[in-house]
Amino acid sequence: MTLNLNNRFVRFFIGAWVPVLIIYIWWTWSATSGNPYFPPLSEIWAMFQYLWIFDNVPTNLVPTLQNLFVGLALGITLGVLIGAHLGLSRYATRMFMPIIDFIRSIPAIAKVPVFIIFFGIDSVMRIAVITFVVMFPVMVATIQAVRSTDETLIDTARAFKLSNFQILWQVRLPSASPQLFAAFQLAVQIAFLVAIAAEILGAGFGLGAFTKIAQDSFLIVEMWTGVILIGLVGYALFLAFEIVERYVLRWYYGAKKIDA
Amino acid sequence: MTTAINIDDVSMTYTTGKVSNHVLDRISYEVQEHDFVSIVGPSGVGKTTLLRLLTGLMPPTSGKIVIDGKAISGPPEGLAVVLQDYTRSLMPWLNVEKNLAMPLKRLKVPRAEMKVRIDEALEEVGLGGQNKRYPWQLSGGMQQRVSIARALATRPKILVMDEPFASVDAQTRFSLEDLVLKIRADYGITTLMVTHDIDEAVYLSDHIIVLHGKPAKVSDLVTVDLPFPRSQVQTRNDHRFAALRTRVYEQVQGLASTEPEGA
Repeated sequence: MTLNLNNRFVRFFIGAWVPVLIIYIWWTWSATSGNPYFPPLSEIWAMFQYLWIFDNVPTNLVPTLQNLFVGLALGITLGVLIGAHLGLSRYATRMFMPIIDFIRSIPAIAKVPVFIIFFGIDSVMRIAVITFVVMFPVMVATIQAVRSTDETLIDTARAFKLSNFQILWQVRLPSASPQLFAAFQLAVQIAFLVAIAAEILGAGFGLGAFTKIAQDSFLIVEMWTGVILIGLVGYALFLAFEIVERYVLRWYYGAKKIDA
Repeated sequence: MTTAINIDDVSMTYTTGKVSNHVLDRISYEVQEHDFVSIVGPSGVGKTTLLRLLTGLMPPTSGKIVIDGKAISGPPEGLAVVLQDYTRSLMPWLNVEKNLAMPLKRLKVPRAEMKVRIDEALEEVGLGGQNKRYPWQLSGGMQQRVSIARALATRPKILVMDEPFASVDAQTRFSLEDLVLKIRADYGITTLMVTHDIDEAVYLSDHIIVLHGKPAKVSDLVTVDLPFPRSQVQTRNDHRFAALRTRVYEQVQGLASTEPEGA
């Protein structure tokens, strides 16, 4: 008998049993652990419930997510707006591409200290740095996307007398949405990385700061709960993004299925 | 009869760097209102270039195209296009009705009227009720029908089609040709069509412009006096149909004698 991968329950169970097994192994092997760095998973779980359901959520989780979403929204908006207009002008692209590529080449985490100098360590700095690191990959993808629109689509729109502005918003950007979404996905990953890193580097509050402070204070069990929660939040972001993408790009996946 | 489009001494030369390519040489023709005119010629002769000039997508090197008494300087109002490659001229992210709505929004057609026009245009092309489907859920012939419906919904005075049936199979092609005849009978839109298919040009047109040479000149103007309504079986079996297609074929191939044709 072969398993039918088209069945979503079959798919779910195939994907689910490996993590379950790993958690089981971790749980049993760590149960008698005396090593302070690898406390029993049961202890971590008890602490997790104590800390995160839900006492620390408003103080340490909500601010992190707030900064993340505000920074992402600003960065994606600016990246698309600037990229679309730069992309339409060959001269502007030529002029700004070297500096964009240079700034892009600085690893996202290395940009954080610069922002700490300018904005301090509070939420404004965190939002500013997330906005900034998200903006660049989105901008570059948008520049390429608006330049690679099929000429027939543009001719059609022009023949129906759509203005350049309408062609940008109604033809170029939607036709590039699959590439743009790939960039947005990258943006979400970088944004999350930088959100946590900014908290670790400029300590105060937030998920990253909590984990770092716990480590510095030798509160190893608390530190583990932080790491696990960061993982869970990151995974939830990834799943949420996929759902949005599948919905917005349903035309694209539908067309691809027909082609295949 | 009024002139719908006056192609007035139009030449086109493409220049890239130091290389220039003289494609069209002093083309003149007056398209009368309500006429169906085909432009035929061997491949690469510059048919599509002429069509791009007519739609205002690019300006001619010299001469002018006059519509409504004005030389055009961009896509004119009241003109609609159907391009060859339907897979690349419908917006794949929009469903059928939103594809049709796109030019209507630009025209600021009120929402209620937009709905009426879209349904009517889809009905006309035989796709009534397919509003919510996406282009990729439709066959090639159906997609081209959507493309035609999009043009019709704008209520154009002039319809311009570039090899509209080149990418569909023969059966579909016949039914799309008959659709075009029906639209013509229903609305009397002035239509210009570029095609490399001589039979199709004879079957559909009132007049045929034959382009030939490099640079291309008008080598013949053929009036098709076959009666309406036309049908795939009877019209194509008419001996006059055969005579006309032979004449056009010879002109396209450059085989025709230089003697003026007898009556």
